[in-house]
Amino acid sequence: MEQLLRSLRVIVPAILLAAAPAAAQQVTLERDSGLYAEPRLDASQVTQLKLGATGEVIGKQGAWLNLKTPGGSGWLFSFNVRFQSQQAGAGDSGAGSAAGRLFGPRRSVSVTSTIGIRGIEEEDLKQASFNADQMKLLDGYVATRQAAEQGARASGLAPASVEYMDAGK
Amino acid sequence: MRGCFRHCIAAALVAAVSGHAVAASIDLGRIFDVGRDLRTATAGIDETEEIAVGREVAGRTLGAAPLVADSELQAYVNRVGRWLASQTERPDLPWHFGVLDTSSVNAFAAPGGYVLITRGLYEMLDSEAQLAGVLGHEIGHIVQRHHVKVMQQSAAVSAGARAAQRSDRSVLVNNLIGTGAEVFARGLDKDAEFEADRIGVVLAARAGYSPYGLVEVLHKLAARTADDASLALLFKTHPAPGERLTQLGDALAPRVAALPTGTEPAIRQVDPNTPPPASAKTAPAEGASALQQQGEGGTTIPSGGGSPGKGLDAGGILRGIFGR
Repeated sequence: MEQLLRSLRVIVPAILLAAAPAAAQQVTLERDSGLYAEPRLDASQVTQLKLGATGEVIGKQGAWLNLKTPGGSGWLFSFNVRFQSQQAGAGDSGAGSAAGRLFGPRRSVSVTSTIGIRGIEEEDLKQASFNADQMKLLDGYVATRQAAEQGARASGLAPASVEYMDAGK
Repeated sequence: MRGCFRHCIAAALVAAVSGHAVAASIDLGRIFDVGRDLRTATAGIDETEEIAVGREVAGRTLGAAPLVADSELQAYVNRVGRWLASQTERPDLPWHFGVLDTSSVNAFAAPGGYVLITRGLYEMLDSEAQLAGVLGHEIGHIVQRHHVKVMQQSAAVSAGARAAQRSDRSVLVNNLIGTGAEVFARGLDKDAEFEADRIGVVLAARAGYSPYGLVEVLHKLAARTADDASLALLFKTHPAPGERLTQLGDALAPRVAALPTGTEPAIRQVDPNTPPPASAKTAPAEGASALQQQGEGGTTIPSGGGSPGKGLDAGGILRGIFGR
């Protein structure tokens, strides 16, 4: 029973979040950008948006956000916007932010990054000594190349040929 | 002579990692005596030495924060990570992946195939594609040997002090491992981070994931405020997520139409029975013996005679998605 309750504590919030209508997800443009009729750079342009313009996100597809703006709805290259800032520490681990809602949540998130719990800091790293026991554990978790490939295939992952990218303009 | 030379370089690397005062024990002068400067010398670091240095760095990081006590989770992250690493030019490094039990949001790469992600960051992720993007970024640092390039930057600083080092070698050594060299190296770091972002996107795509997992993570981070305690190290040491998004967007724009769609499998959650991370106070010191670890391939890493318990320089060899 206890286990069932524990499971429900994890599952129920996830379902509620998934089923809830997406709250307004406001974004602000970081640069002048075209709003396109399709999620493609060569699609027809609905309108041209200016730096600082805002819009409401109603969906995503790959590198594109479906945006509702006063000048019309369309698709915007997602790199050109920033999501509204989120004050952390109030029971949020990132998934509750606008970006979190858009790119998740597909699950509930246990909160560990609350203020008051001390995390790893630069000073901790400077003071740290080699931990042989933990290193032994780490060695024990290593996956062989073959095991990794089997796992990937089982998850339906198919390798693709993709060239490395140069820096942009 | 060759063996001695390599020994000196390994010592210099460890010094850069640890950042403690080991000047006296590093005979850099001997390197110059044989007619090579350190810029040339660091380019000659072989894989065995690289792995040995990385192992030391990873072991010290584990001294600052232990692994999450969830063996299934750790095995899972290793499978995902190794599959990504298999898409690179260095598929047969001894790739190790681990989730650190700390609420901080960060991830680290150490030379030779060691990648560590914090629980704070892991629990922000919504899909395996996002995990792939983060791990792919770290793998990118290792494949590109960015840590070696940091050493080369340090050598450039030291070149300016070469005259001074003839009378006082400690001047040169301090330039190599001290704050000055570290600050100087930051110029390169930014480009290295942007490059690792581009590699992270490509590796995720090659492995069959959505290429945009890392982009989504950067959006999440950009939406976090700078006064978030768990991101303190991030904002102190790294280009802002927004700047990374801009750089990545410029690089990706001509490529988006041709990139495969990929998939976004569910990510494995941390076992809910695992308690939240404790205060990340430094683990008990392993003492001087820990600084004389036997690296893979039998390479001994000299400690350089530094005091035990002092050491890991987050801004040196240790490179992360948010680390320097």
